[in-house]
Amino acid sequence: MSAPFGKVLIANRGEIAVRVIRACRELRLKTVAVFSDADRESLHVLSADEAVSIGPAPAAESYLVIDKLVAAARRTGADAVHPGYGFLAENAAFAQACQDAGLTFIGPPPAAIRAMGDKMAARRLAIKLGVPVVPGTEQPVADDAEAARVAGQVGYPVMLKAAMGGGGKGMRLVRAPGELSSALRAARSEAGAAFGDAAVYLERFVEEPRHIEIQVLADAHGGIVHLGERECSIQRRHQKLVEESPSSFVTPEMRRRMGEAACRVAAAAGYVNAGTVEFLVDRERNFYFLEMNTRLQVEHPVTELVTGRDLVKDQLRIAAGEKLGFAQDDVTLSGWAIECRINAEDPYASFMPSPGRVAGLRAPGGPWVRDDTGVYAGCTIPRFYDTLMAKLIVWGPDRDAAAARMARALEEYTVVGVQTTIPILQRIIAHPDFAAGRLSTAFMERLLAGDRPEAAGRHRRIALIAAALTAYERAGRATLAPAAAAPASSAWRQAVRPGWRER
Amino acid sequence: MKFAAQAGGAVTPVEVTGEAGRYTITLDSEAIVVDARPTGEGVWSILLDGTSHVVEVTDQDGAYAVDVGGERYAIRVEEESRYIIRTRGASGSERGQVLKAPMPGRVTLIAVTVGQSVVAGDGLIVLEAMKMENEFKAQVAGTIKEIRVTAGQPVNPGDVLVVIE
Repeated sequence: MSAPFGKVLIANRGEIAVRVIRACRELRLKTVAVFSDADRESLHVLSADEAVSIGPAPAAESYLVIDKLVAAARRTGADAVHPGYGFLAENAAFAQACQDAGLTFIGPPPAAIRAMGDKMAARRLAIKLGVPVVPGTEQPVADDAEAARVAGQVGYPVMLKAAMGGGGKGMRLVRAPGELSSALRAARSEAGAAFGDAAVYLERFVEEPRHIEIQVLADAHGGIVHLGERECSIQRRHQKLVEESPSSFVTPEMRRRMGEAACRVAAAAGYVNAGTVEFLVDRERNFYFLEMNTRLQVEHPVTELVTGRDLVKDQLRIAAGEKLGFAQDDVTLSGWAIECRINAEDPYASFMPSPGRVAGLRAPGGPWVRDDTGVYAGCTIPRFYDTLMAKLIVWGPDRDAAAARMARALEEYTVVGVQTTIPILQRIIAHPDFAAGRLSTAFMERLLAGDRPEAAGRHRRIALIAAALTAYERAGRATLAPAAAAPASSAWRQAVRPGWRER
Repeated sequence: MKFAAQAGGAVTPVEVTGEAGRYTITLDSEAIVVDARPTGEGVWSILLDGTSHVVEVTDQDGAYAVDVGGERYAIRVEEESRYIIRTRGASGSERGQVLKAPMPGRVTLIAVTVGQSVVAGDGLIVLEAMKMENEFKAQVAGTIKEIRVTAGQPVNPGDVLVVIE
């Protein structure tokens, strides 16, 4: 790659910063990590060529401060910035500030971020282009009376959504007219608090919808392709847990139409770089434009595994002004990929965050297993950022093989010290509805409703033995070396030498 | 060494002898010989009757969270003598609730005041960690005796937040 830049600052942390650093290294680009006071020992800092401290632990004082990031780039001589996802990734002012400072922003132009960031404007654009949207308002609802009128027209249940929203904030489901005015008040206040804009719009609620999105790549020379779909229907509180590509629900004909619609929206918005167009799909396979995410998605690896493309490298090549170098007909989907999000949350305690020290860690391996992680054995997961710890992605020649491989890999994944979503992911993958491809955004509600919090008791004996052995060994160690904390030795090193122990 | 293992409301006496991988464990009055090796901090490899188990043991609220084969067990293990002394002393006096922080975080809201009476299910305090707000509720009815934190304060796991009497 003959890039107009040679050193990339990654304005992010965690697994995505590590992911971007890996792509840069393979393209022989230098990398600069930024870190808050809570992240000095985090994996992205250890992985980069250079690292710059950008202030206190709260993101609002570090990862979200545009001036500090631009200054860090200046100081280190970085000439490009990759925003990752989250933080400032969809902030047009940040993209603009990078441009103004002479830095190449690895993402879309500020105008495209702005155009798609306003959800109402994006919706109007889709309507203008003839792309179907869920019936509802084209402007934010003015008052209770208008909301009631539109809700009556499109039919209950309806969904209220923040105009500037995302991530489930400012969303309210209204099943009957009587609930409308209090739901509108709640959605407005939540939207105002979360996004600084209380504007709310109204849509018909699609029952048990699937969430299916299209990956788009566009270069600065008018080249645009889509890389098929990802199904992200397994969500809890609007947070995705399991994603896959392709979707068992999407026919080739539907893929062609959805892909074409996604490219049309992106092109009309002047989009350049990698982006994702999200759709809701109802039970009759009608799809409706939801929004466009103007960044790399968390779940991009499933697309990489079925298309054979490295999306971060494509982002870097596009930002360097290169042409895509391939056309829609060159894109083929091969086999099946599934991703599970390993979050530091306790699924046995209503998904409470579980920050802390990762005492023991052994990631799975073997054929077609990929672990995109932000942690290592002995590191500490700070309490200040989101709970995504690692992503486990597998590939198989078909969906069954991929699911069986995912079950196997989850079984191998060992994390001690913090609680993770691994046990719940195992239950999802083992569920008959998952195996049958019967997915919808209500999947988790159903699974958790039928959940028994107590273990089935199959392994009671072995659990009691392990607990008693732990107490026994600790009692012994305490007499030998009082108050000495166990050294942070590598669980991995011990694991590859079974039977070897530290006494 | 004799232990009392408390899990799911049941107390099981467990005796452990042996070392360096070979242990004899007496459980439910049955002596079991196991080959158990620590293969990482909190990770045991246990061979029992020829079956290979990998078990994860994590400290949680003064007990162990034991993960094995997709199941989770909360097990509190005490030396038998200590268990006997503790349970003898505490007969019938286990009332009220001491709410401790289960994780590091920051107090964002305190919904009660000292002297206020609460019923089980009343919201007490909200802790923010990893961009999520977590509400903690009263498990018993009673009176708020102490509030040991203030809004905005960072807390560590095990810190006492609220005492209900």
